Amino acid sequence: MKPVGIIANPASGKDIRRLVAYGSVFDNNEKVNIVRRVILGLDSLGVRNVFFMPDFYGIGIRAMDGLDVSLEVCFLQMEPEGTQDDSTRAAQLMNELGVACIITLGGDGTNRAVAKTCRNTPVLPISTGTNNVFPAVVEGTLAGIAAGVTALNSASDPSFVKRVPRLEIRRSAQLVDMALVDVVVSEAGFIASRALWDVSKIREIFLARAEPENIGFSSIGGLLCGLTSDSGKGVHIIIGEGNCRVKAPIAPGLIRTVPIKQFRVFEPGEEIPISQTPAMIAVDGERELVVKQGDRLSVALNLEGPRVVDIALALRQASDKGLFFEPQ
Amino acid sequence: MELPKEKLLEMYKTMVAIRGFEESLADAVTDGTLPGFVHLGVGQEAVHVGVCSGLRSTDWISSTHRDHGMILARGADIKRMRAEIFGKATGYCKGKGGSMHLAAFDKRAPGCNGILGPSQTINNGIALALKKEGAGNIAAVIFGDGAAHRGEFHEALNLAACWKLPALAICVNNQFAISTCVDDVCAVEDIAARAAAYGIPGLVADGNDVMAVYEAVSETAKSIREGKGPALIELKTSRWRGHFEGDPQPYRTPEQILEDKKKDPIARFAGQLLEQGVATEVTLQALKKEADQELQEAIDFTDRSAYPSEEEMFTDLFYEEGRNV
Repeated sequence: MKPVGIIANPASGKDIRRLVAYGSVFDNNEKVNIVRRVILGLDSLGVRNVFFMPDFYGIGIRAMDGLDVSLEVCFLQMEPEGTQDDSTRAAQLMNELGVACIITLGGDGTNRAVAKTCRNTPVLPISTGTNNVFPAVVEGTLAGIAAGVTALNSASDPSFVKRVPRLEIRRSAQLVDMALVDVVVSEAGFIASRALWDVSKIREIFLARAEPENIGFSSIGGLLCGLTSDSGKGVHIIIGEGNCRVKAPIAPGLIRTVPIKQFRVFEPGEEIPISQTPAMIAVDGERELVVKQGDRLSVALNLEGPRVVDIALALRQASDKGLFFEPQ
Repeated sequence: MELPKEKLLEMYKTMVAIRGFEESLADAVTDGTLPGFVHLGVGQEAVHVGVCSGLRSTDWISSTHRDHGMILARGADIKRMRAEIFGKATGYCKGKGGSMHLAAFDKRAPGCNGILGPSQTINNGIALALKKEGAGNIAAVIFGDGAAHRGEFHEALNLAACWKLPALAICVNNQFAISTCVDDVCAVEDIAARAAAYGIPGLVADGNDVMAVYEAVSETAKSIREGKGPALIELKTSRWRGHFEGDPQPYRTPEQILEDKKKDPIARFAGQLLEQGVATEVTLQALKKEADQELQEAIDFTDRSAYPSEEEMFTDLFYEEGRNV
């Protein structure tokens, strides 16, 4: 059976949105608890090897401390730097090691970092961040079992692993950056505390996901267009007075009336230029990219994003096949 | 949230001025012209400038013995600052506070404390007074990761939360409490996580990024002003020099210090200003030149200033009836 990778981001769930919004604090001790339950779930299905991303807090080390399991864990040979690049490097190494899937603990930002290099390796995301659209709020035990099901089925191409789209930021057809949920263009001058929460500073939004049940900037598109998660389309919104206003939950507990100048659904492959520069671009909730005056960037939807494990479907299919029955 | 160009350039100049000021003190300790304990915050300029830029001039702020940067960032007179550190009568405390116990009441910096921990409980007193005053001002206090392991940290946060005081606790986690690495004595990765125990917001910010510090402090201060009660901010940074000047630092390697220096907050802010088109190299060099010139004037002022007279020895030491401090 193929090994499984675990990337637990020690920095997720702690940014300024705990203050400017009502985001919950996700302490690393709770991440340790979740990882323990994931490991127990993996062990129950006979997974033999697990690779951990090392981190300064030692989430993996603490999770394994005193845990009575048969599987063996191994820490990737990499020096953590305490930045999102750790998750990107770890995903690349796990992909090279041929893991069946990568379990992530983090938010949209963490999964974006992983999606940059995981290539064809499926991601199984557990939410521990703030504005989470990409990862699911799921009990760690179930996530571990679902990852075990994925490992058992890794020789085939199981239908519970689905490819999701990504937004690509391009300059002259060259990929500059990517996002799994949203690209938000704002007037914020500095990266500073990374998060975005001031609607008055936002100019335009590109969405790969626009479901009404989402939180964050994705919710604006969700409430305007109401796409389904598998629609295969994107949404482009220009912020400003003129068309309508929508009341949207742009962060936990932060419900704002957003003026909409125009919006439209766009197709994969269509390149939409970023209309105003200079600007600050936030990807999946984090200010990341400074766009200088005259810099010509565009955004496009690519359906060939990362592969994601549908946890509920994986468990249902495994149950239907009798995987959890034991001989009497 | 957004700051005008003039303010951004002023912040840069203050960071450069603090660096130059503190390095000149290191030189003075080395050549023997500055006796006594001196604790420098070289490498922590983003903390001091970001914090003070995020507060109003009518707010109050106190700190620890690593305090020069905070007082300068508060807009204190660099001449009186240097004179105080050298024990001259023209200093902020007439030369009797020195490096470790600076106070600049005109800047609402009521005192820095060499005893680490109690400053938070003292800050609660200031915050209580401000709450009763009702003018919307807050009381901020800076302390280190070592102080965050003392009882006063917990007592102060608890009482501030119970009384919903306009108090902002700022933990400057520079990784070392004298010689003890925070990783060896702290059960949680983030000291800010302890805020949850008292039902108040706690957040972590990059203490080497002045804009991140500014944003964290200004937004937190806004929340406190709105009457939402106290908050805890943890600023992760590093000090480049020893705990005190002369500290041989056997507890860390030269390589670790070099790694810390790669995160130079001044170079980082300079890069941001250039990238944003806020400044050119020429502008930044001119600001450094101005800061250097002001430092030289402070050095000359200090050299010309006299030590306090013998008669001053016992003045300003005890409470005097009728005198409003």
